[in-house]
Amino acid sequence: MTDKNKFAHRLALLEGAIFSPSDLESIVQEIEDNQRIVTELEEFSQGDPWIASQVQPAGKKV
Amino acid sequence: MGPDEILELSATELSRLIPGRELSSSDAVSAAVTRLERLEDKLNAFITVLREPALAEAKKADEEIAHGRNRGPLHGVPVTIKDMFETAGVRTTGGSKILADWVPETDSALVERLRAAGAIIIGKTNLDEFGHGGTSTLSHFGPVHNPWNIDRIAGGSSGGSAAAVASRIGPLSYGTETGSSVRRPASYCGIVGFKPTFGIISRHGSFRGAWSQDHVGIFARSVKDITLGLDPVAGFDARDPASVHQEEPAYAARLDANVKGLRVGVLRRFLEGVNPEVRQAFEAALKVLAETGCEIVDLDVPELSYAAMTSMMTSSAESAGINRHWFRERYHDFVPHVAKGLAVGMTITASEYLTVQRARHRIREALRATFEEVHIIAAPTTARVAPLLSEGVRGNGDDARHASDNHSNLLRFPSMLGLPGCSLPCGLNSEGLPVGLQLVGAWFADQAVLNTAFAYQSTTDWHTRRPALA
Repeated sequence: MTDKNKFAHRLALLEGAIFSPSDLESIVQEIEDNQRIVTELEEFSQGDPWIASQVQPAGKKV
Repeated sequence: MGPDEILELSATELSRLIPGRELSSSDAVSAAVTRLERLEDKLNAFITVLREPALAEAKKADEEIAHGRNRGPLHGVPVTIKDMFETAGVRTTGGSKILADWVPETDSALVERLRAAGAIIIGKTNLDEFGHGGTSTLSHFGPVHNPWNIDRIAGGSSGGSAAAVASRIGPLSYGTETGSSVRRPASYCGIVGFKPTFGIISRHGSFRGAWSQDHVGIFARSVKDITLGLDPVAGFDARDPASVHQEEPAYAARLDANVKGLRVGVLRRFLEGVNPEVRQAFEAALKVLAETGCEIVDLDVPELSYAAMTSMMTSSAESAGINRHWFRERYHDFVPHVAKGLAVGMTITASEYLTVQRARHRIREALRATFEEVHIIAAPTTARVAPLLSEGVRGNGDDARHASDNHSNLLRFPSMLGLPGCSLPCGLNSEGLPVGLQLVGAWFADQAVLNTAFAYQSTTDWHTRRPALA
């Protein structure tokens, strides 16, 4: 069972949308999972100074 | 020529026969729409069928030909489009209850260009709601069924388009891809699906799934038809901020099966969990590529272990941003699984999103270096054949929540990085279900991807197989 209070500030971002207890449970689990993922990606990307951007208009014909 | 023979004709053949008055557009459109209506209760591939308008346009196309006017390479050819593209005067739903009755006043860029090239749109295909899914089961209009086995999914989110082309309901269909929504359904349905480099085809007037990953893609039975369908819709469009300036598209004219000396890389670390029959078909496909003159080399890009979760997080945050208004006002009208996904995305903070984008840059740089070594990366498109509908949204077997050697990293990196990617049939498993071969090239190496796929199809016949339903 996930502690929903721990994620209260995150759930506030749902701006009033109401989910069933079981849906809310799975949402909270994914939020917790996302925190782990971001931590892993932060470690992975240490040393990389830039963020990604998709290919930009070339300014010339390609 | 009878309807069944007409339906077996390629777009390339239709584009020759119709202007040559050897076949009428009316007959081609009528055959496709009749096939559509005959199979629709089994496939549920369409949200809107345009029988009468399409037949009226076909009649006009025939009259134009009789008066010496040929609008373009798709003159009189029946095509279908995913219901992600706005069509003036025709409802455009995105597979959602929210827009179930919405009728736009203008055409999307894709539809503008298709009409200018003479194509006749016979129907708008079913999809996961606003492209948020990989199964085409998350539609307000019900799930799409796979024509090879209607108990299985067509893949998503452009499942209706893939099912239509596999069933010979028009030789071309147009879809969108944010994660794998063209290549996966193409693989599951045994046809070709091509997604060009980010910015080649305008997205103006299509629903957004995730701004930085959305692409327009094409479905056909052959690579040659893909190029015929690509030329008229590619090109710069100032209304899409990602659109790139390009030479006049000539992918069809430049299609060349001579790929001798091309270096094709294989990322074996991501193949461990792939279904054995899929892997066997892939290894056989590599042998064919080697016989065409390609040099097959093993690669290792460990950074790709982070690709699926980086793609997933990017898509999650961006889709929440795109749908924020509707989520606030009408979250209960979304398909429940989609609503839950949007809710999770709503909770990703800006600094977390930017952390993900740093990881994305690192992966991008790793791939940039990789494409200094090889021209093409080859892989099985999917790790398994089309799963059963009863397996639900987890049936695809993806793992986008862990840094791992899961195959889903190979499926998701092309859209995340904007690389051109193609899936083409390369076998059938013991149950007679299609297996797909994925070919990915460097940015703007679209022609090299298409040429490699064309070389493969020039010496194999997997793309000529068809489901019994068709």
